[in-house]
Formats: sequence, C-alpha cells, structure tokens
Amino acid sequence: MTNKEVLDTASLQRALTRITYEIIERNKGGRNLVLVGIKTRGEYLAHRIADRLEQLEGVQIPVMAIDITNFRDDQPDHHENLGLNEAEKLNISEQNIVLIDDVLFTGRTIRAALDALIHIGRPKTISLAVLVDRGHRELPIRADFVGKNIPTAQNEKIKVFVQEIDGKDSVEILH
Amino acid sequence: MIRHLILEDGTTFEGLGFGAPATTFGEIIFHTAMTGYQEIITDPIYDGQMIVFSMPVVGAAGIHAEAYESVKPMIRGMIVHDLAEVSVNRQRRMNLDRFLKQHNIPGLYQVDTRKLIRHLRETGPQKATIVDYADDHAVDQLVATVLTNKQVQNTATSKPYANPGRGRHIVVIDFGLKHGILRMLGDYDANVSVLPYTTSVDEVLTLDPDGVILSTGPGDPRSLPESVLTLIRVLQTKTPLLGIGLGHELFALANDATLVPLPSEHHGMNHPIQEIISKQIFYAMQGQGYAVDETLLDRKKLFVTYRDLVDGAVQGLRHRDYPAFSVQFFPDAAPGPYEATAVFADFFETVEDYVEHHS
Repeated sequence: MTNKEVLDTASLQRALTRITYEIIERNKGGRNLVLVGIKTRGEYLAHRIADRLEQLEGVQIPVMAIDITNFRDDQPDHHENLGLNEAEKLNISEQNIVLIDDVLFTGRTIRAALDALIHIGRPKTISLAVLVDRGHRELPIRADFVGKNIPTAQNEKIKVFVQEIDGKDSVEILH
Repeated sequence: MIRHLILEDGTTFEGLGFGAPATTFGEIIFHTAMTGYQEIITDPIYDGQMIVFSMPVVGAAGIHAEAYESVKPMIRGMIVHDLAEVSVNRQRRMNLDRFLKQHNIPGLYQVDTRKLIRHLRETGPQKATIVDYADDHAVDQLVATVLTNKQVQNTATSKPYANPGRGRHIVVIDFGLKHGILRMLGDYDANVSVLPYTTSVDEVLTLDPDGVILSTGPGDPRSLPESVLTLIRVLQTKTPLLGIGLGHELFALANDATLVPLPSEHHGMNHPIQEIISKQIFYAMQGQGYAVDETLLDRKKLFVTYRDLVDGAVQGLRHRDYPAFSVQFFPDAAPGPYEATAVFADFFETVEDYVEHHS
C-alpha cells in the first residue's frame, strides 16, 4: 500500500475557494441558499464554504449536516431516520440546496442523500459540490461543482483529510 | 561627471552620471523593491518613466539573460543611491552602466534618494529631467515638455504572434505585455496567441481560446479606446478571463467601475495583500498608479477579492456572473515573491473546469 498526495493543503483550499466562487456565479448572490454537508467530511467542507461566502458577501448561509446511513441501498432495514433532531432540521422547502461531499465515486451516497433531503422537504433546486470526483459512477449522477477530477482505478482508494478531524488538509490516493 | 535631476516643482538633486550622457524627460516615480532592478527597468509598464530606487545599492546582480521583462528597456532614467559594477555576461562585459549606455538611458548615482523619495511621497509623481546643467533654461524646457500618454501604443505589439505549446489555448491581449506572464503560461505548457489590443471580438473567437488574459501595461487605462472595453465585455461572457495590472483596470472599467489616481503610488513588493475569501495574507509585486474606487463599485456585477492591507486599495475583482477575474498586483513573480503565482493555478483550474463543461 503506497500513499500519494494528489492535493496538498494549498491546492485543497484553492479548490474550496473556486467552488465558492462558482456557487456565487450560479446562484446570483446566494439568495435562498442552504448548504447541506454529508457526514462526516462533507459537513466540514460545507462549513468551510459557508465561511468563505460570509467573508465575501457578509451573509451567513445556513448549513445543515445529514447522516445518510439509514438511507443507504445496502441497508436491508433502512428506516428513514436522518439522525437529526427537529431543531437541526432546517426548512429546505423552496430553497436552493448545495449538497456537499468529499468524494464522488459510485453516486450511491448522493442518491441516498437526495432521498434523505426529499424526505424532509421539497427544495426548489439541489446541486452537488464535491472536493474530488474519482469516476466509476454506477448511477446517473454528476457534480455541478468539482474541486478536482482525479481519474482512478476501481481498486484504488481516495482518502480526504480535513484539518478539523484529521489534523491536516490533504487528499491522498492509496494503491 | 556631476549631473542634475530637476523636478517640475523646481526641486533639484545633484548626483554623478552613469549610463548614457543623454538628456531625457519623463514622469518620475519611486520603487521600493529590494531585488529585481533589471526586471523593473525592462518592464514595459515603466515606459516613459524615471525610476528612483530605494534599494541602497543597485547593479550588484549584473545584467542576466533570464531577467529581461522585455528585450528593450523603455524607462527614461534611473536614479540610485549607489551603483555596483558587476558583470555576469559571458559574451560581453555587460554591467548596469554599460547596459544603460547601450540603450541610451541616463542614470544618476550618489543621489540622496531618501530625501528624494520623501519629497515624492508628498508631491506624487511629476515631470522630471536629467541634465548636465540645472539652469533656468533646463527648468523652462521641462515645464514646456508635454509627456506622451500613448504608452500602450508605444509598447504593445501591433501584430499577432504565437508562443506555441501543447496545452490549453490561451489568448493574451497585449497592452504592453511583460515576459513574466508568458513565462508563467509556459509553465502550464499553454499554447499562446498574443494579439494586439485593437483585435476584434471575431478575431479572438475564431481562434476558439480556452481562456483569455488581459496583460499588464503602462499608462492611464482611461486613455484607451472604448473598443477595448467592448471587447472585454464580450469576451468575459465567452471564456474564462484573467486581467492583470492594466488588464485588471480595464476589466474594472468594462464593468462600470471607476478608477482614481492613488495619492501614493504602489511600486514595490512590501505591501501585505489579503485574499478576502480565505483571509490569507501574502506579498506580491505591485506597480500601480490607479485604483478601483470600491465605494462606486456596482456590486451586482463585481465583488472585491483581494485588498491591500496598507491603504485598503482594491487588489482584485471578480465578476458575479462569469468566470472572469482580475488582480491589480503582478502574480508572475518577475521579480517578486512566488506566493502570488497561485493566481495562475486558479486561472488554469477555471479553464479546465470550463473545458470540461463546454466540450
């Protein structure tokens, strides 16, 4: 097993910066915008993007984190529990949602997240931002905002590290 | 030989002549960079200007083949505190003194540059002349001299040319392009077409670029024809666009921003600049006489991305609707700190993203 760094700290931060600028470009100033991070690392990335939007525009964009475990298609007895209490559930009806995850791979996590979101409301739009798109989709899902396209082999692993829990910002490929 | 610098306000400074024994007229500014004199005097943005260096000794690095920012220096004079005579040239004994002689540019050393720079900080840039005798006649000559405002016409290419590579196709609109920008594009193996600023929208779009760069350049951006602004307004909607220096100022004007002359111009690399989105602070080369007036900015079109932490001057803008952005500072690090080169990484990542979505 060897590790190869494909995004260093500066490049990872630049990727988040560019995603933020693109979100501004396509959402015309962030009206009715809600950022939804997929736990675990998507949540931290969502907060980072929200911080960047606040720096630029001086507005606080609501951030919600969702745990999609109970919506996964490989869980036989999924019971549609978001793992959120009522206070943590934002009103997402008629909002423009940007769903945020660290790695886009088969697309199954995103499908589960879409299910989870639609379970709690009816957003106006949902778009998808990912730090890394590594290919090998199994469902008709694509990202609107991509930090970095990293073509990979099926048996390789992509590991995203974020400062908040991993102590560093980096993306590594393991093979 | 004792020679004299005369400013339009009548102040005179004495020094020893070096370089060419010519009498020249130009706009005098001061530069606080501690390295990179060769890049500075060959940078086309200083066309028609006399430069006072705050660096105490200039010339100690010789004249290097890799430190040209244009083949021919366009400055009108160089004023330094002390001069070093060093040559690193394998073919000729080429030091700064001989280099200036060859290009018929006068220099003055043993000048009290601290006093001169303090004076210029108060008055701002003004007309100046380097002469043998500081008499009434020389002062009259200076007052009567009208300096050109055609610096862009003077330095920019009038014919298109290519700087081929195997990567993305980047069109550079030349307003007085320095080599540093082409050098950076070379690092990305870009296939570059450099076009005159008089190019039409059709000519640019026929080349089907993956991105457009508006180059640095000299002079007052407000003196350029309206057609340049029209060109920018169209191109920014078609491909990723990056404006640098004068290119940034033109990008701003094209989007209804207002430029104001800076009371104290920025020529150096010692101002901290903040990237607003990430709160990161870095240093970069600056050569700026005008700044975007932030209070008059149409926030529906543009927002500020970088700011100078010394005087708050706008250092970068971005369009709200298109992948078009600009920086007032020089991210090509020629000379200057390398930390600002990430602007080119941003540009090429934006280009990749654009190509991905439009092919």
